[in-house]
Amino acid sequence: MGDADVVTGVVAARARGLTKAYGSGETQVLALDAVDVEIARGRFTAVMGPSGSGKSTLMHCLAGLDTVSAGQVWLGDTEITGLKERELTRLRRDRVGFMFQSFNLIPTLNAAENITLPMDIAGKSPDRAWLEQVIDTLGLRDRLKHRPAQLSGGQQQRVACARALAARPELIFADEPTGNLDSRAGLEVLGFLREAVDDLGQTVVMVTHDPGAAAHADLVLFLGDGRLVDEMREPTAEAVLERMKRFDVVRGAIGDHPSPRT
Amino acid sequence: MLKATLRSFLAHKGRLVLSALAVVLSVAFVAGSLIFSDTVARTFDRLFASTSADVRVSPKEDDFDESIPSGDVRTLPASLASRIDRVDGVAATHIDAEVENITVVDRHNDSVGPTTGAPTIATNWAPTDRSPVRLTSGHAPRGDGQALLDADTADKKHVRVGDTLTVLARPGSFKVEIVGIATFRTTNPGAALVFLDTDTAQRRLLGGPGRATSISVDAASGVGDAALKRNIGHVLGTSYDLKTADEDAKSAAEDLGGFLDIIKYVMLGFAGIAVLVGVFLIVNTFSMLIAQRTRELGLLRALGADRRQVRRSVLTEAVLLGFVSSAVGLGLGIGLAAGLIKLMGVFGMNLKSTEMVVGWGTPVAAFVVGVGVTFVAAYLPSRRAARVSPMAALADAEIAGVGRPLRVRALVGGLLAAAGAAALLGCAAATRTATASSLLVLGIVLTLIATVVAGPLLVRPVIRVLGAAFPALFGSVGRMSQRNALRNPRRTGATAAALMVGLALVAGMSVASASMSKSFDDQIDETLGADFTVQNANFVPFPQEVTEKIDDTDGVGLVVRQRFTALAVRLPDGDRVKTTAAGWDARLDDVAHVTYAQGTSAQALAPGHIALQKEFADDHEVRMGSVLPVEFPGGRRASLTVGALTDQETNDFGMRGGFFVGLSTLVTYVPGGQDSAVYVNAAPGTSADTLRARLEKALDPYPQVQVRDLADYKALVHDQIAVLLYLVYALLGLAIVIAVLGVVNTLALSVVERTREIGLLRAIGLARRQLRRMIRLESVVIAVFGAVLGLALGLVWGVAAQQVLALEGMEALAIPWSTIVAVVVGSVLVGLAAALLPALRASRLNVLAAIAHE
Repeated sequence: MGDADVVTGVVAARARGLTKAYGSGETQVLALDAVDVEIARGRFTAVMGPSGSGKSTLMHCLAGLDTVSAGQVWLGDTEITGLKERELTRLRRDRVGFMFQSFNLIPTLNAAENITLPMDIAGKSPDRAWLEQVIDTLGLRDRLKHRPAQLSGGQQQRVACARALAARPELIFADEPTGNLDSRAGLEVLGFLREAVDDLGQTVVMVTHDPGAAAHADLVLFLGDGRLVDEMREPTAEAVLERMKRFDVVRGAIGDHPSPRT
Repeated sequence: MLKATLRSFLAHKGRLVLSALAVVLSVAFVAGSLIFSDTVARTFDRLFASTSADVRVSPKEDDFDESIPSGDVRTLPASLASRIDRVDGVAATHIDAEVENITVVDRHNDSVGPTTGAPTIATNWAPTDRSPVRLTSGHAPRGDGQALLDADTADKKHVRVGDTLTVLARPGSFKVEIVGIATFRTTNPGAALVFLDTDTAQRRLLGGPGRATSISVDAASGVGDAALKRNIGHVLGTSYDLKTADEDAKSAAEDLGGFLDIIKYVMLGFAGIAVLVGVFLIVNTFSMLIAQRTRELGLLRALGADRRQVRRSVLTEAVLLGFVSSAVGLGLGIGLAAGLIKLMGVFGMNLKSTEMVVGWGTPVAAFVVGVGVTFVAAYLPSRRAARVSPMAALADAEIAGVGRPLRVRALVGGLLAAAGAAALLGCAAATRTATASSLLVLGIVLTLIATVVAGPLLVRPVIRVLGAAFPALFGSVGRMSQRNALRNPRRTGATAAALMVGLALVAGMSVASASMSKSFDDQIDETLGADFTVQNANFVPFPQEVTEKIDDTDGVGLVVRQRFTALAVRLPDGDRVKTTAAGWDARLDDVAHVTYAQGTSAQALAPGHIALQKEFADDHEVRMGSVLPVEFPGGRRASLTVGALTDQETNDFGMRGGFFVGLSTLVTYVPGGQDSAVYVNAAPGTSADTLRARLEKALDPYPQVQVRDLADYKALVHDQIAVLLYLVYALLGLAIVIAVLGVVNTLALSVVERTREIGLLRAIGLARRQLRRMIRLESVVIAVFGAVLGLALGLVWGVAAQQVLALEGMEALAIPWSTIVAVVVGSVLVGLAAALLPALRASRLNVLAAIAHE
């Protein structure tokens, strides 16, 4: 994918020379080391890597949640590096959807209110037809009036997924969305993310350390020590697992390499 | 376990700061008031002990309660001194000619006396080594027309040696030249002092030579005061009062004690409010800390700590908090006392802060209050902590639940409320003031406790209504803030309770005082018919000259004088009632409207007759024509015939029975009295404005009296009621400060508790401004909830209190709506102010760190 793709709108987000450092001088740790990456529109991308590889940091930087030390990040054709806090907040609200591993929902709001929260905050009314479609797709029709405490973990993640989809954002970031779920509920959520891409035309970036989860993506990006080290199209769980094992070998060989924060 | 407790205390010290502040404030007020009153008491004990004569001989005192002074000065013959001189054991005698409550004016006709209500005292200059003052410049007064002034007054009013002052004494005004300045050797209690030579003082102040107000006796060396008193007593018999230095100092201290007690009780009132409100704060803080530490406590339990250990650990933390806060509060209290002592200096009472007395009782009280309050407040939360099960360690971190059902609270609150309501209804139905007021107090206490207990139950319904418009007005931000306030009714209830207590008191007091003002207005409208009244604010009598000046003023049509005297009446049912009676000029009907059940003003004011209130008369078997034995001051006795019974409700405190007589009758038995008020009507053809201008001009040399029309008179009464209100407002101020601390505390801890939620909201696009607004709205909802509850409770109290006032003749009920609106608006501001810091803190949270927050 070259710059031409950006113009035609095939790239949902990209980063050039993205560097994120913690600390300074002797103790400086590079979480991301001059990463170049592009996220294709309408695709399901998984980001994998061992603990401390910088995969979460990458996602946070792409989503405008964290500042970068060097390099540039674009969301669509907006450069988000250099945006002010207020503009970043608006960008996250209007153009990005989020799913976190846990604590995704506001406990005082019911499912329906949680789903429309980003639009309510923005003071916009949701696209009713789209909202109905999302709700039906995720099977939340009869759970709308429930508070998060009255929902199972899987149902809660489905509500979070619906919230991420509801505003029809340019990009959905999912940070370990299945990390806290049992395998059945996890599969269900992955299925929904897949559907969101295939049937609803959404773009999803998912950070995970579970090869099984990564296998649902169209493309897997492998991060190691803050660098993009590999990618895999049409992944299978076995292939991803094999690739991940090679990290352990490398890491074993390097030994006591300091691990950056994720 | 102790180590874990200490660690926990230090780890949470930031969160305990606000609770500590509440304890510090209450301890500071307790300590400050104790230190202050001890210091003042010690200073005055010393002053009186050092200045009292060994034995003082004075006119026989009556046992009457003089609620309004008659202006009569009791004297004894100065020749008594020579008789005493001959008594065994007497070294020397001194004549005292001393008059209190006179007025001294400078050449601009401005009073040089204290503006604080302390008296101006004129006395004879007879310096001894016991005198509280000594001459520091000029020379002693010699003969008529010379005087000394005390240095503090001279300083304050810019009077110098050589200036001329006018003394407005009862026998007549006279001019004096200041020939010297006398300076206090000891503490100046705040009065202004003018010294004349003895002969001048006798003639000019007491109205003739050969009189004295008392005689001071020095004991010969080796003669005890008590022995000397006995010796003099043998010679003089029982017709005079004799007091030793000790007794004299004691009674002087008692006179002053009333004033000091007021300051002490006001300070203790502040301490009480601080304690009461502080308790809510502490309960809330510990409850929240424990809720936040549920997992940690669960882990401790899982590791084998038993319930008692957990409870003890929480209580130890509380005691530590109480101890530290008490120590700080004690220090602050010393500062507060020093400040008060300085403040007294402004009012003319020069105490020395270096002689501050910190008795052993002060630190004891400080620590008992501080540690005790904290311990008691932390007790319930500690029991809740002990109930945390070991399973809590494994459970998910989500807390902030609804908690246990509020059934017990509903039951207890309901019962208390019912009992309180019954007491208040009983108060409204009662016919005796004593019964009604004790039922009122009971009702207030019960309903207050009921509201505090049931507060959490009211959170849901009331806040649903209060915040109903929020989602429409502020969208999802409004919805979340309303729901956050509803999230933990216990916490919201306890936070709002602090505000509620203060506002309930204010609402109740303002209803009562507004009703009092309105009743007085009604009564003044109903009874006062004069164009003008001439008097001063506290019915202190004034010299005859004032009345003469009024009589001589052009355009004055009618002048009716009023005097007061203390007296005792023996009633047919055997009671001896000590009260104060008024004396009126004959044309009472032209300046006042008195309604009579029987008789007329003419019959009431006829010589040898007396009138009283019918209700009181019925209670004591008095009828028209009954002959009542009456004792007047100075031992004069009379038998007065009941000439009229009035239907007036009396609300003049201290004037039980509403007795009044004709002025001529009063003058017969209290010849030395002075007028306390003069009622003036304009002559036909003279307009009120013209007359007023003339009266004011004529009375310019007499700054102690003022000319007032009906409206001014009402304003005067309102001002006197307002003094009470200012005190209440000051108490409210303190209660609000602490209540704001409470709201800040709750919000700050809630922000900590909801860190992850805030992180999530920020991640999905809630702007900082919106987040701040969310917290502000929650704070406003809590504050307004407290205000609504407080006002509702206060209104009920006020209406019940008015029922008690009605029994005392104040029948009007007035609800001060403007105050109530102001309180509601004020509570919104309080909410906004309280949210400032927590909102700022929340909006500054780092999004990623917040999401990852455990």
